[in-house]
Amino acid sequence: MTAATAPAAPAAQARPSRLRLPGPARLLRLELRRSIMPWLLPLFAVLFWLVTFHPAMANPPFWNVRSGIVQSHTLLAFAPLLAGAAAWAGSREHRRGVADLVGITALPRWAAHLAAWAATTCWAEAVYLAGVAVLYGVTAHQGAWGGPLLWPAAVGAAFVAASCALGFTAGVLLPSRFTAPVAAFVMFLALAGGAFALQANIAYAQIWPLNVQGAFPADSYGVFYPYLPDLPIAQLMFLGGLAAAALGGLGLPAPAGGRWLRITAAAVTAAGLAAASTAVALAGTARLEPHGIVIPALHDAASDRPTPYTQVCGHTAIPICLHPAYRALLPDVTAALGAVLSQIAGLPGAPVRVTEVAVTTVKAEPGNGIALGGPVIGGHPPVLYLPLAGMALPGQGTASSIAANLRQQDGPWILSLLVGLPGQLGAPTGVNVIPDVGPNQSAQLAVVDGLVRALGLARSGALSAGIQRGMAPGSPQELAAAQRFAALPAAARHAWLMTHLAALRAGRISLSEIP
Amino acid sequence: MNVEITDLTRRFGRTQAVAGVDLAVGAGVFGLLGPNGAGKTSLLRMLATVIPPSSGTLKLLGRDPGSYPQRRQIRRRLGYLPQNLGYYAGFTVAEFVEYFALLKEMPPERVPTAVATAMERTGLGDKARAKLRTLSGGMLRRAGIAQAIVNEPELLLLDEPTAGLDPQQRVAFRALLRDLGQRATVVVSTHLVEDVGAACSQVALMDRGKIVFCGTPAELTAQAEGTDAEGDAPLERGYSAVLAAARTSTGAW
Repeated sequence: MTAATAPAAPAAQARPSRLRLPGPARLLRLELRRSIMPWLLPLFAVLFWLVTFHPAMANPPFWNVRSGIVQSHTLLAFAPLLAGAAAWAGSREHRRGVADLVGITALPRWAAHLAAWAATTCWAEAVYLAGVAVLYGVTAHQGAWGGPLLWPAAVGAAFVAASCALGFTAGVLLPSRFTAPVAAFVMFLALAGGAFALQANIAYAQIWPLNVQGAFPADSYGVFYPYLPDLPIAQLMFLGGLAAAALGGLGLPAPAGGRWLRITAAAVTAAGLAAASTAVALAGTARLEPHGIVIPALHDAASDRPTPYTQVCGHTAIPICLHPAYRALLPDVTAALGAVLSQIAGLPGAPVRVTEVAVTTVKAEPGNGIALGGPVIGGHPPVLYLPLAGMALPGQGTASSIAANLRQQDGPWILSLLVGLPGQLGAPTGVNVIPDVGPNQSAQLAVVDGLVRALGLARSGALSAGIQRGMAPGSPQELAAAQRFAALPAAARHAWLMTHLAALRAGRISLSEIP
Repeated sequence: MNVEITDLTRRFGRTQAVAGVDLAVGAGVFGLLGPNGAGKTSLLRMLATVIPPSSGTLKLLGRDPGSYPQRRQIRRRLGYLPQNLGYYAGFTVAEFVEYFALLKEMPPERVPTAVATAMERTGLGDKARAKLRTLSGGMLRRAGIAQAIVNEPELLLLDEPTAGLDPQQRVAFRALLRDLGQRATVVVSTHLVEDVGAACSQVALMDRGKIVFCGTPAELTAQAEGTDAEGDAPLERGYSAVLAAARTSTGAW
C-alpha cells in the first residue's frame, strides 16, 4: 500500500476496456462474467441432446413436430434446473456474506438484483436459443417443407425467462443454501401438476407452458393451415406476467429502494399478476378445432385461411398425392396403400385419386384424448381424402411406422368405405365409436374381412370388436364366406367386385352369394 | 462535522448494543477503541446505514440517513469495510473493485481510473487480474479496503481494517489512513491501540455500548498517569486505565 495521493500508474489497467460502456451495461457485463450459468453449460448441452435433439431426430423432419419437441421436452428438462440456478444466484449475497457491503451502496437493490437476474437469464436464453438454432438448422438441412415455427420457440424463451425470474426471486427473498434445490424441485412439481391438470381436462390447464396445441398430435397443425398463435399468445402473456410479478416482488422489501421505486415495483407486480390471471382465464375459453387450439378473444380469422401448396404425387394404380411437407413419406405411403389400391382400382365407386387432406373433424375425448377424422371417399369422380396427421407421431413416428399404421389401419378402413360400411368400421383402434351393424351388412363385413385376409392386413380393432358383439362375420357361415372370398385369386375377387359391388354396397348381397 | 450523533441507541432484542452515544466527528482519522462486545461494530453499522438506530438522531455528511433520498446521497460518498468481508470468489480484484464502484453509482467514465487508483493505493496493482479465491487473508483485506475507497469517500468507515495484515502492510496502511484523513472523515474501529496511536487524531473508547472516553491519543495516554494500569505501551496503559475507571464507577468487573 502506498499513501501517494496522485493517481497511480495504471498497472491495474493492464487491459483497459476499448468500449466505454454505460454503467448498467458495465454492471451487466460483470454479472455475466461471474454468473454460475457458464459452469452449467455442459450439463444443459447434454440434457438438450438427450431430451430434445435425439428424440426430435427420431421423427421425420416436420417443423411442427420438431418445434413441439423444443417447447415440451426442452423446457421440461431445463426449467427446474434454471429455477435452481437462478435461486442460487439470487441467494449468493446471503451465502457469500456480502449483504451488508452491497446493501449500503447507492444503486437501489432492485436495480442491482435485476442486473444479476438479467445476466443469469441471458446465459439461459443463449443456451436455449443455441439449442433451438441447432435443431432448426438441422431440420432445415433435412429439407423440411415450409419454415420454422417461431411461436413454440418464443414460448420456450419466455418460459426460460420466467423460470429464472421465479427462481431468482425465491433466492433473494428466502436466501439459504437449500433455496436452489427446493426451487428446482418446486418447479418440477409445478410442471408435473400442470400435466396432471391437463390430463384431467381442466380447461384452464391449457395455459401450461409445455402444452403445444393441446392434445393434437404434433404433426396435425401448422401444415395445411397456419400455426394458430392463440394458445402461444396466452402462454406468453402468462409467462410474461409471472416473470413481471416475480421481478416486481424483488422491489417490494424496504431495502430495495425508495418509496417511488417500491410503488413502481408494486405496480409491476400487480400488472404481472393481472396479466397471468387474464391469460389463465383466456385459456379457460379455449376450444379444440381441426387446425389447433382456438381462443375466441385472441383468434385472428386470417389464421383460418389455408396455406397454399403444390401437391406431390406418386405413380400407382390410383395416384397418391401428398402435401409437400410429407414428400419424404410418399414412397412409404405408396408402398403401404399400394396393395389395397390395386385391389380396388377401377371398381365402380372406387376413388380415382388419393389426396392428402388436413384433419377435418376433431373431438375431445375423456382422459385428454382426441378423436381425429379418418379417410373419406367423396366427390365426382370419387376421391379418397386421406388425413395422414396423427399417425403415431411423435415418438415413434418414423417413416416405416407411419407406413405400417397406414397399411394396417387405413387399409381396412378404405375397404369398408368402398363396400358401403359406415366409415367408422375398420377405423384405427380407439378412434371411433362402433355403430350398430345390421344383419344385411353381414356380406359387406365378410367381403371386407376376406379382402383384409387376402391382403395380409391386420383385422383392425373395430372389426374384431364387431365380431365380439355377435355381428358378422362372427358366425361360422360368415367366417366361411370371408375365408372363401380371401382364397379367390386376386383377379377373380376383382372381377366379382366389378359386377357385384353396387349390389353389395346396397345391402342386396347375401353371404351365400359370395364366391 | 461529518458525523453528528445524539443519544443514539441500538437494541437487538433484549440486548442493548449501543446505549446512548453522543459524538461529533469532523475531518481526520477517528479511532474507535473498545473491548469485544463494546458496541463498536453496531455503531459503525449504523454509521454505514446498514442498520437504523433504535432511537436517537444521526446525521452523516450533513444529511439524515432516515430519509431514502438523503441516504442515497450519503451512500454515494460513503466507504465501508465490514469486520467480516464477504466476497465473490470468482471475481478478480479489479472486477470486485469495479463492481462496487458501479454499485456506488460512480460516473462510468471515471470508473476505470478510480479502480486502478484504489488498487494502487492498497498495493494491489499487480494483482488486478488475480481471482479473489487465490488471495491470502491480508490481500483480501486490502481488496476490501480498495472497494471502500474506490469512490474517494468523504466518510470512510473501517471495521478492524488491519486484521490479517502483516507489520509492513500495517505500516503502509496507517500511512494511507493519514492520507485519507486529510480530505475525509475516517472512522476506524479497532482493538489494536497501536493503530490508533499511529494514525488517529481523535479517539473514542467504547464500553458496554457507551463512549467512556473521547479525546486525542495523547490525552488517552495521560489517563494512565498515577494509576497502576497494565499495558506494554503508554497508550495501552491509558486504555486500560479508562476502562478500569469506567467499570469501577458502574460497579462492574
